[in-house]
Amino acid sequence: MSSVQIKSPDSAQADAVNDAPPDTATADTRKSSRLSRETLNIAGVFLLCVLAMLAARWINPNAGGYQQLETILVLCSFLVVVAFGQGLVVLIGGLDLSIPSVITLGGILTAVWVGADGGIVKTCAVLAACAGVGVLNGLGIGIFKVPAFIMTLAMGIIVYSLCLGATGGSPNGVSPKALTWLMSGRTAGIPVIVIFTVIGAVIAYLVQSRTRFGIRLYAMGSNPTAARFAGLHTLRLTLMTYALCGLLAGVTGMLLVGYSNGATLRMGEPYLLPSVAAVVIGGSAISGGRGSFLGTLAGALLLTILDMIISSLGFSQGWRTVISGAIILFAILLQHEGAMDYLRSLKGRNSTT
Amino acid sequence: MKRALQFNASPLHKKMLAMLAGVIAPLVIGGVSMPAHAAPKDHYIVYLSLSYSGNAWQSEAANLVKALAKTPPYDKMVELREVISGTDVQAQISAYESIIAAGADGVVSFPVSPTALNRTVKRGCEKGTLFYMYDATVTEPCAYNVSYITAGFGENTAQALVNELHGKGKIFLSRGVPGNSVDKRHYDGAMSVFKKYPGIQIVAEYYGYWDDRTTQQETAKALAAHPDVEGIWAQAGENGALKALIAANHKLIPMTGENSNGFRLGLANPDFQAKGLRGVSSGSPPAAAGLAFKLLMEQLQGKRDMKVHNIEYALPWVPADKVKVCEGDKVTSECNVLAEGKVPDSFVTEVFDPVLLPEISLQSATDGTPTPGATIQPLPEDAARAAANEPGINCAKCDAPPGLYHLTKTKAFDAQ
Amino acid sequence: MTKPSSYLTALSRSGAGTAALLYLVLFVAYASVERSALSVSAFSDLINNASPLAIAAAGGTLIVLLRSFDLSVAGVISLVNVILASYPLEDATGAGISLCLALAIGALVGLVNGVLVAYGGFQSIAVTLATMIMTGGLALVILDAPGGSVAEWLSETLTDTLGPVPISGLVLLAVVIVWAVIRKTDFGVSLYAVGQDEHAAALSGIKVQRTRCLAFVIAGALYGLSGYMLSAQTATGNPTAGNSLLLLTFAAIALGGTSFRGGTGGLTGSIIGAASLMLLQKLLFSIGVQSFYIGLLQGVVMILAVSLMNVGEWFNVRKA
Repeated sequence: MSSVQIKSPDSAQADAVNDAPPDTATADTRKSSRLSRETLNIAGVFLLCVLAMLAARWINPNAGGYQQLETILVLCSFLVVVAFGQGLVVLIGGLDLSIPSVITLGGILTAVWVGADGGIVKTCAVLAACAGVGVLNGLGIGIFKVPAFIMTLAMGIIVYSLCLGATGGSPNGVSPKALTWLMSGRTAGIPVIVIFTVIGAVIAYLVQSRTRFGIRLYAMGSNPTAARFAGLHTLRLTLMTYALCGLLAGVTGMLLVGYSNGATLRMGEPYLLPSVAAVVIGGSAISGGRGSFLGTLAGALLLTILDMIISSLGFSQGWRTVISGAIILFAILLQHEGAMDYLRSLKGRNSTT
Repeated sequence: MKRALQFNASPLHKKMLAMLAGVIAPLVIGGVSMPAHAAPKDHYIVYLSLSYSGNAWQSEAANLVKALAKTPPYDKMVELREVISGTDVQAQISAYESIIAAGADGVVSFPVSPTALNRTVKRGCEKGTLFYMYDATVTEPCAYNVSYITAGFGENTAQALVNELHGKGKIFLSRGVPGNSVDKRHYDGAMSVFKKYPGIQIVAEYYGYWDDRTTQQETAKALAAHPDVEGIWAQAGENGALKALIAANHKLIPMTGENSNGFRLGLANPDFQAKGLRGVSSGSPPAAAGLAFKLLMEQLQGKRDMKVHNIEYALPWVPADKVKVCEGDKVTSECNVLAEGKVPDSFVTEVFDPVLLPEISLQSATDGTPTPGATIQPLPEDAARAAANEPGINCAKCDAPPGLYHLTKTKAFDAQ
Repeated sequence: MTKPSSYLTALSRSGAGTAALLYLVLFVAYASVERSALSVSAFSDLINNASPLAIAAAGGTLIVLLRSFDLSVAGVISLVNVILASYPLEDATGAGISLCLALAIGALVGLVNGVLVAYGGFQSIAVTLATMIMTGGLALVILDAPGGSVAEWLSETLTDTLGPVPISGLVLLAVVIVWAVIRKTDFGVSLYAVGQDEHAAALSGIKVQRTRCLAFVIAGALYGLSGYMLSAQTATGNPTAGNSLLLLTFAAIALGGTSFRGGTGGLTGSIIGAASLMLLQKLLFSIGVQSFYIGLLQGVVMILAVSLMNVGEWFNVRKA
């Protein structure tokens, strides 16, 4: 009977009624122990970020510390926005593979339709369109029970080919002045986008962990059946979450247009796997119900820093890819519950027995 | 009886047989090797098979072919069908098979792999379909490759950069797509030059995926790690690298790249020049697609006898001091970049060729519409210049000529 | 209940049944538009084209049955393809050794995945994402641009036909037969049990961790086989060969009727689903759909197919 011990987190079935929460001692202890593990994980990832920056400094002492930090913050803004959306979807046990196409959609609509003059109304319309794609995703997943993987994958393909067909392959257009200012302007010596990202990150954290909406998402992700019995309108929550994810992807597209004053059809491609990686490294469970935005933020930061360092190492592309895969694996191994419990116990007997 | 059957040819017999064979054989071989449609028809089915299609270069190249197909007299003679199969090689194999089964007379294609399509192309050739590949090449001997790739983009631009830096300096290499043979050819050519100068230090090497935005981001990352860079060697997407320099308030440095309109305008900009921007705009011409189509059509109509299968398209070469902004809508022999605002920065300029493609206007490249009033002009005799054999690029079982990476556009600054 | 009707209900309940139905509909449409569709060479082309994806989908099905993800399919296929093209071994014996090599590489990667996921307790999507990146990088290290050449015997034979039957079709059949055997073993039963309800399975004595790990190993071996077939098809090496197959594999699994909630479905359905995907491409080509919108139709077909399957499942549940 040695296999009774179920360790795979994949087993946290989202819709099994008999999925009783593994309670050991009192509910309090369980909750605080889970919080501690999460916090430890997030702290670990941030620590890795710092170590990585120090390693970069060591490799090339010329690298001006502040300049590098600034570039990292600017470049990781795209991933942070996208990963927040993906994180929300993962929280309810789903996955959004249409993100690259919605980024492209947002970018193309902004560059071609909103253009240089760009008004608030048009911009909102673009964001609404992107959110609309998310709503369609949510409908397919919530009503027709199409698995999230397939629904979002198919929607992504559909949206992409619509973009391809409408632009004939090469979208023309320029960035609205406001966006260009957002991405390259500075106030008080700090790039505007960094301020934007910081404010956005605070809002994101609050939304996910402190608002009723966020808490309901956690409930739904942990146990949808129980959530429904508790009166949560799961379909509405699903629609809102996917719509929000689509909206955020559209925002990312706009940021990218502001950054390079134009849109291309492959704008969104580099953000699919990293958005999932950031969320997972940050400690969220793919089965839903667990994870904090701070973790996702740390994951996004780590991925951006790693990317920079590895490309400056001078190895061939093959080895670079192997190394980045190994580091991602390492970051995941860090999340091993046993290892974390061991580390926590090293700090002395605290709340857990 | 048996003796009669024994084929004991006397010397005279042998001679007569030899003469007969000498007369019949060429007729037989000639008849077999001529395509099934040696006699010119009045209606041809030609397929345009693209793999990736999501950027300015690809759509301009496709538009050129479409515009030419709609230009009289081809508008009545040619039915052009377009197939886009994406980056999955199985999908393009499947597309080729369907095209061959549909009985196409010719295929103009951008192949996604230099080797994986060979078997299917061979079958198509055997059935009489002509395959013309543009820009990217295949190693199958029966296919025709029309490309600049053998003209030495990598080595020539590398030497130009070295010349600007006088043999010493830290540089970035902005490459294309990892695992791609075109990227590798450019890189190998460039490295053959850089290796000769120990003073040249490659401090960062990254992949821009031939995309302006990705190049801009990657360059920005490299700049943050190496702010003391002194030169950039770039493949397509070079305008993104320039934007990254400007956005980082970095001093401008010598750059070599391909032929996006934005980059050429940058080279011509006196402001940038004063800040230190110098270099060369070279790169891949979408015009090769138009040339491939015209060659295909002339061969199908029997007007041209193609002796070579690998055709080299001349390498575009516009050094910074030779950039001239066009007043009108067309690049001619006097000017080589379109004025700002006429086209987006990412527009690839080398779609015009007054000698080979006089029927092309700006409209044709952006929309695929024919130029009003234009008719197809015959290609000059020497339009199909033979390209060197490059194993892995345009031939499989062949040897590279000695001096594979030789300079054609520029000389080493310290050469005697 | 008379035998035929219970057989039919079983068929309609199994994912393979609906998948086969979808394929049949597509094929009829295709044959009506394309006259040459019914020839031996055209059919053999279809099977050849679909076989790498089909076998990859078969491997992925094992993992999906356990409610997990396996992204390493892309990396394993690229790695195997690159190795077979860089170190070709001639003749039938060479092909046999290459086959063992391909299976071994895939199984090894699968073992790493399996140990980390089953015994280490890490999330499958994270672990397999990392192994996919690492194996893909390894493929780039071995071959940095498309080239090399696969052993001729291998590429000639595997794309050939034995009479009217394509040899790649025989390989697919072999996979289906092996699966039918495995399904009856303890492992096969455990697979479905764990997928449907892990706790209950554990409580009834099934070794959950071992089942999971073994599933990853077998799936990895199947990915290796898929890379083998792909190498025969393209006859050359490409370090990014597997990338385009990643999402298609899961699309094929979904079209094949395997539920992403685990516990229902099977390999046969996924193989047919893969064939349907490739056939759809050809069908759209023959109809003359404008290139840009092929993606649109593929996406719509996928959504419709899975929705209909869900509706069908719903009806079945209500009837039962």
